Amino acid sequence: MLELRHISQNYGDRALLQDINLSVAAGEIVALLGPSGSGKSTLLAIVAGLQQPLSGNVWFDGQEITRLPPEQRRFALMFQDFALFPHLTVLDNVAFGLIEQRLDKSQARAKALDMLALFGLVDHARHKVWHLSGGEQQRVALARALITQPRALLLDEPFSALDADLRASLRDEFKTCIQAAGMPTLLVTHDEQEARAMAARAVRLVDGRLEALW
Amino acid sequence: MFFLRNWGRLQSSLWLGLLPAAALLLLLIAPLARLTLTGFTGEASWPGAAPSTWSLWTPWQDDYLRWRVLWSLAQAGITCVLAFVLGLPLAWVLARFEFAGRTLVLRLLMLPFVVPTLVAALGVLALWGPRGLLSGWLGVNLQDTPWLLLYGNLFFNLCLVVRAGVDALGQVNARQVAAARSLGATPWRAFWRIEWPAIAPWLMSSLCLVFLYCFAGFGLALVLGGQRFATVEVEIYTLVAHELQLGQASVLALWMLGLTGSVALLYALLEKRLAAPNRVQPLARRRPQGVAQWLALTAALAVLFAICALPILAIVWRALDAGWKVWGTLLDAEVTAALWNTLRFSTMALALATLLGVQHALAAQRSVAWRTAAFLPFVVSPVTVAFGLLLLYPSWTASLPLLLAAYAVLAYPFVAKSMAAGLDSLPQHLLQAARTLGASPQRTFWRVTLPLLRPALRRGMAFAAATALGEFAVTLFLSRPEWATLTTLIYRRLGHPGAASLDQAFVLASVLMLLALLAFLLIEWPVSEGYERRRPAIGALPVGALHHA
Repeated sequence: MLELRHISQNYGDRALLQDINLSVAAGEIVALLGPSGSGKSTLLAIVAGLQQPLSGNVWFDGQEITRLPPEQRRFALMFQDFALFPHLTVLDNVAFGLIEQRLDKSQARAKALDMLALFGLVDHARHKVWHLSGGEQQRVALARALITQPRALLLDEPFSALDADLRASLRDEFKTCIQAAGMPTLLVTHDEQEARAMAARAVRLVDGRLEALW
Repeated sequence: MFFLRNWGRLQSSLWLGLLPAAALLLLLIAPLARLTLTGFTGEASWPGAAPSTWSLWTPWQDDYLRWRVLWSLAQAGITCVLAFVLGLPLAWVLARFEFAGRTLVLRLLMLPFVVPTLVAALGVLALWGPRGLLSGWLGVNLQDTPWLLLYGNLFFNLCLVVRAGVDALGQVNARQVAAARSLGATPWRAFWRIEWPAIAPWLMSSLCLVFLYCFAGFGLALVLGGQRFATVEVEIYTLVAHELQLGQASVLALWMLGLTGSVALLYALLEKRLAAPNRVQPLARRRPQGVAQWLALTAALAVLFAICALPILAIVWRALDAGWKVWGTLLDAEVTAALWNTLRFSTMALALATLLGVQHALAAQRSVAWRTAAFLPFVVSPVTVAFGLLLLYPSWTASLPLLLAAYAVLAYPFVAKSMAAGLDSLPQHLLQAARTLGASPQRTFWRVTLPLLRPALRRGMAFAAATALGEFAVTLFLSRPEWATLTTLIYRRLGHPGAASLDQAFVLASVLMLLALLAFLLIEWPVSEGYERRRPAIGALPVGALHHA
């Protein structure tokens, strides 16, 4: 279980997050809504370990991990712009995390190829990532995130760069994948429809505080 | 704990910055301080020099020196005006018209950035000098007129303004222009009210650089200025090397430092005002339509050809025309030694400059002051640097380490700047993605940052290599006779009377040119990374790329 306890953060002099408390159970998808600039992405960065909170703690499965560097958390973060590495092929993008886990390069690639097969992307394995469409890129990003068997999944507006039809179909695909993997998942979005489609529970960030939506 | 983490980052920045900081301090700031001291006290320490009767104000009281200072300012100003008047229409044509070979022309615009100053000077001589291709044909004699120097200045700086203009025009948002047009503005009015305000700061900042280069330039003025139209930099060199008047020279150098410093400050202020470009939808280029537009395009390309390509072609022509006997002199011991010196000095300096540049860029990521410090070697003229080194380390003036260190300090800002721009444009998300996928900061650097910055590093190295190959001023001041490089050898040949030595100079210049081109192609050309091409061209402009040594 992922837990945030009394998290506060400032942006300059402004209090961006004030005493945030939230827990996400394994296999649960919680949507985090709020207008742009409300601090959603900051909260996600704190969970991922990319930012340190001013005060408060992040816990995972009974362990305090607030100061743990991001590479040791094994949380997968997915970005609005996909953040695929442009200098690597699709295959090597997916294999990136495995190589960091000290897996042999050929083994990592073999595993990555299996993963790509699951997502129907085998034909693109040797392509550079910018040859792919938006939807394909986002699938590669998900494959890259899931292959390391992360302990939690953090999604930062994952579908906002895609067009409406694709968004709907990818939403279902992602939901199935996430539930199969059984991880606590935090979905940041400003689209309430998307939140309803994917998440059983939703909270809204308003003036630095969380309020439960459903 | 939070504090400790920050302290850790600060510490790594400090360690990274140590070497470049030491280099800047020992090879730039300390010599300048020494120079300033000498300038203020007016003391000449050269043995056998005449007692000094100089004060800080002499350059403005003495007619001869006042002319030198005023002419230095004037030629820089005139070049700016010419470069602007010619450059803006050229940039507009290149930015807005689509035609076959456009990309090639844009690439060729980079050429003057790698042409050594002395080669450029010889190019101008080959066209307009004694027995020059054009002067001979037209029957004019431009020796002892200001035109040679101004032409040389334009050769370098027109390309700079045009490139800045093309990049800036690419940043003009098509939607804004469309909005202006739909609100009733004619194309001409839309240009003045929308495009011009958007590009003016970029052009002004490039003109600041043009002024700086012309004002602090040495090689062109030395070869093309003649007796009457040489600049202050040449005067400083003459005072130091021929008249042994170090006190007088240092007063002049002090004034130069003050004047270039002010222009550099202006440039820095302008640069600061240039907001980071947003993602804009650039205006679509279109094929020229009608006779008038095709004429405009042809005229633009003709002007560009006449100013930026013709001098280079003229050298090649004159060198080929020189005959086998002159080419045979390339095998002379003196020439092969110079070639060898050029190659080994440049290689060693490039290695050193790359190390310094990468470290500086990494250290400068979190510090604006550090970032600005990388510009210091651009701002200070090589003559001033060399003179300062001469004053500060008199016993080391003929030592190889000092010479190489000076080379490296003058060349490394290219690497630092290119790398810093690359680091800035690196999407933070990529680094964050790597971290969350399990890569430590060091692993992220090796696996993501460095591969993505390779094109930037190569570009920086290309310019650094070209600078080192064409280095002239420092070599003239600090080297021993047996350490002659191609540039100093060319200069020596120019000093010899007779057509034969002039021909030899042209042959040597074409060899040097070939080397610079080769270094540039080796390092810069095969950038086939697709994502590079998809990126906007901002940052591609090697601001501060010209070093008029």
